[in-house]
Amino acid sequence: MVLAADAQALETRHLGFTISPHEECAVEEAVRIGGEVVVLTLGPAEAEEQLRDCMAIGADRGILLRTDGEEWDAQSTAAAIAEAIRDEGGFDLVLFGNESADAAGYQVGIRVAHVLGLPVVTGLKRIEVLDGTVRCERDVGGARDVYEAPLPAVLTVLEGLNLPRYPSVPGRLRAKSKPLAVVEPVRPAQGLEKLRLAVPEGQGKRAEILEDAAQVVDVLRRLGVA
Amino acid sequence: MILVFVDADELSAQAVGFARGLGDVRAVTFEGAYQPLAWAKALAAQEAEAIVAAGSDRGNELLAHVAALLDVPFAANVTAVDGDTVTRVRWGGSLLEEARLHGEPRILTVAPHTHPAADIGDVETLPAPDDGSPKVIASVEESSGGVSLRDAKVVVSGGRGVGSAEGFAIIEELAGLLGGAVGCSRVVTSAGWRPHADQVGQTGTKISADLYIACGISGATQHIAGAKGAKKILAINTDPEAPILASADYAVIGDLHEVVPAISAELKRVRG
Amino acid sequence: MFARRAVFLTRLVLEAKPADRPGATSARVVNEAEIVLGQRKLLQRLVPGLMHAFIFWGFLVLFPTIVLAAIDVAGGGDHTPAWYRDLSDVFAWLVLVGVVTAFVIRKIVRPARFAGSHLGEADVILALIAAVVITLLLWHHFGDSGFAWAHLVLIGLFLAYIPYSKHLHIATAAVNVWMARTRQRGRLEPLRFDLPDDQLRFGVATVADLTRKQVVDAFSCTECGRCQDACPAYATGKILSPKLVIMGVRDQLFAQSEEPIVGNGVPEEMIWDCVTCGACVEACPVSIEHVDHILDLRRSRLMVDSSFPAEAEPMLRDVERASNPWGKPQTERAVWAEELGVRVLEPGDAAPEYLYWVGCAASFDERARASAVATAKLLKRAGVDFAILGPREACTGDPARRMGNEYVFQAYAEQNVATLNEQGVTKIVASCPHCFNTLANEYGDFGGRYEVLHHSELLAQLVDEGRLAPSASSASVAYHDSCYLARHNDVRAQPRKLLKAIGRPVEMERSGKKTFCCGAGGAHMWMEEHGTQINVERAKEAAATGAETLAVACPFCTVMLDDGVREVGADMRVADVATLLAEALE
Repeated sequence: MVLAADAQALETRHLGFTISPHEECAVEEAVRIGGEVVVLTLGPAEAEEQLRDCMAIGADRGILLRTDGEEWDAQSTAAAIAEAIRDEGGFDLVLFGNESADAAGYQVGIRVAHVLGLPVVTGLKRIEVLDGTVRCERDVGGARDVYEAPLPAVLTVLEGLNLPRYPSVPGRLRAKSKPLAVVEPVRPAQGLEKLRLAVPEGQGKRAEILEDAAQVVDVLRRLGVA
Repeated sequence: MILVFVDADELSAQAVGFARGLGDVRAVTFEGAYQPLAWAKALAAQEAEAIVAAGSDRGNELLAHVAALLDVPFAANVTAVDGDTVTRVRWGGSLLEEARLHGEPRILTVAPHTHPAADIGDVETLPAPDDGSPKVIASVEESSGGVSLRDAKVVVSGGRGVGSAEGFAIIEELAGLLGGAVGCSRVVTSAGWRPHADQVGQTGTKISADLYIACGISGATQHIAGAKGAKKILAINTDPEAPILASADYAVIGDLHEVVPAISAELKRVRG
Repeated sequence: MFARRAVFLTRLVLEAKPADRPGATSARVVNEAEIVLGQRKLLQRLVPGLMHAFIFWGFLVLFPTIVLAAIDVAGGGDHTPAWYRDLSDVFAWLVLVGVVTAFVIRKIVRPARFAGSHLGEADVILALIAAVVITLLLWHHFGDSGFAWAHLVLIGLFLAYIPYSKHLHIATAAVNVWMARTRQRGRLEPLRFDLPDDQLRFGVATVADLTRKQVVDAFSCTECGRCQDACPAYATGKILSPKLVIMGVRDQLFAQSEEPIVGNGVPEEMIWDCVTCGACVEACPVSIEHVDHILDLRRSRLMVDSSFPAEAEPMLRDVERASNPWGKPQTERAVWAEELGVRVLEPGDAAPEYLYWVGCAASFDERARASAVATAKLLKRAGVDFAILGPREACTGDPARRMGNEYVFQAYAEQNVATLNEQGVTKIVASCPHCFNTLANEYGDFGGRYEVLHHSELLAQLVDEGRLAPSASSASVAYHDSCYLARHNDVRAQPRKLLKAIGRPVEMERSGKKTFCCGAGGAHMWMEEHGTQINVERAKEAAATGAETLAVACPFCTVMLDDGVREVGADMRVADVATLLAEALE
């Protein structure tokens, strides 16, 4: 974890960007369900690469809500996404990753559902589209809770839902020419206003030597596993 | 007054402890089948300066709904509050964010295991009439017995040092006591002591446990690649130069055949 | 019959995709002289080599007898000059010796390399050869035109049989040797992705995708099995046999099959077993390039069908997203170097004399890192002007390319070439033979032309020049040649020079060009291995030398053989030549 000089963001000079694993599963599920698949993201111009990756595994077209690189909080992200979806219209299913790997706000999918007035079920590991409804399952301890919702609906999914396919090269080449619409939404005032980022203490790994079983059990309890 | 949604779990007890640091606490819960939106409506209708819950799946989901209903911001996985500034967790704990939470009521969930649990005290049950939104209609038992390696919160893993298939009995015992799964390194599967399904590594399972205990595993790069998703790593090894120590948070330098049973014995002792 | 078949075979070659084998005429002529006329590759095994050489040279010398026999049969009498009669008799007897030897080998010795070959065909061919030569001797001895007639008939039969049998190699071997690589054996031929849809080639799916070289390869295989014998995968119980791969391709080709080759002529498992060590190519007497076939089959399966061993997927994703096959943060690359005070280049900095390309293994693996640390210390000590790229060094793409993912490889090739060229780099020294091979031989296709040395070469040079003066010792040290150094790139002498300066080198039986792989090549560092492990096999061989130390010159070999030695339980230390040299200087 290395911060940029102004502590506003991660130093990304040497980082590659990727889709969050939950969202990758969402795209894979959408392609498996079939029909027209549109991928949408809010992000800087570089995010086009991730949209093209989605198209390489079968999404038909993409929408980029292009920002200038500044982060948007979950509320404003959801508002922009909901508006874009409303403009498009006609979706049976809107899929989200349950939480993003980075900001982990846990709320974008739910907020979009509220704005669009659609039912929402979150944290899903299994989705089955039936006639006019969707039956979905979520891990709870050693069992699975089952929900049913009428379509259209918003669902948020977790990694483990499926195994995303590896894109073929012909797929990647085709993705280069699939349609991509770019919209530039206006960033509103932030409700959760990021002040700065910090790296927690003890990031550098130097193994703490434990002398006996009692010390080990102490650590286990501190970690909440014993 | 701080409204805290509680479930019957330790994380909720931690959330209550955290909330008491902010003010007077009113703990509430619900009855019947889980229906997120209906329960959230009930929470949103209450008067409170802040609404708090544990950063569990349910807590995050409920408060996200509440925040959406009230059209206010929501900060998930908070570790500290100072006035209207919160410190919250990102990147699975590797990064902290300090942010100003505008709007009222303040909606936040408490990052798991960052605050000691407290006695929950009195809990009110709120009514939450069915509003036709999605709710749990059935519960399906998981078919696989035992904890899956991929989902386990704790993995106790053995390598070449274990010595034999029978040697894994002590590994299994410790895993059982911690409610975790048994893993192993590639050498072990090649030797046929454990099935490939137990293998942790680049070509096996990549785990995301809270704790990975590596017993007698030297720590080849491919193995570490499967284990690096674990939040904390404890290595038990006779070799202080073993590569795994460079990736471990804790280490015991000793023979696993003595150390592992000793840990199991100590666990049983403190649990009474 | 001959003509009809010849037309068919020629058509197959001409219709195949063009092979990019330009120029280098003089080198090709030398190859023809050494490999074809001189039978160099065949003579790698003395007895079978001589057996074939006698038959082959016999064929060459006896060729004019066809004309002479025809004249006699046409009524013109026997015009054979006396000197030629004697000469041809000698060679005829040599041919017979060869044939008898061949039968002894095939029927009595029965070497394992013939497993899977069509032995019946070989018997027919040998019998025909014997008959042709015997009729010649009889004609010379008895002067009866009847024998000349028989001689001609048998030759005619033979001619007709050639193009329908594996004896086709008579016509095609010389062509195949001509078309073979003359240099840069470690370089895979790139694919182009910027072509219109109908011209795109993603490796080989069906026989229609084969290049002309690959077609002539298939024609030239004599099923001798020397490649099979040399293959480390086959030697450790995998089903891969390079011979069977080529035979599979050939059978599909002759049948003009439209089915995918993988799964129809060549079992899928075979193409993934390969470690790209090149031992097969080195062993082949007719210059078949098996690795190209296997790689092209991998390319199609991976890039088009997305079908490949699942355990390699994390590596491919990590190479693409994290710029290294271990998925670790790029920012960690230079940590070891900063602690040593090694210069990390920033954009805009002046280029050093040598860019030290550390490689992903040394950057992220503790065991491999020892070599980079030692190399850096040695270069500093010798006063060499060098620097590293640190976080801007991305994976060369070799693991992705060897897996068959040419697309991802090219993205990294272009990125790295841009970084190197912008920095003005002209000379590179690399620790890892795979990086070394890619930088030296493969990046040229993407605009990157550099003078590239392996660290053992540069270190040997420094010792030669006296800039490093290690103390000698009599401690025994065995040396394991890395495939990508010794075989693909002919770097064999310099590591040995280094070892001589610091210890008492011991050779293993399979060394130099004949080295036996450590098992990590062909992206196998990231794949499961079934059956006996290649690295364990090699570790046993190393342990058998009784040496105290096993010296290596590659981070993969370091890790694989260290694991192997531990598993075998041998009391042997595995260390890179740089580490050993650094220790000899203390």
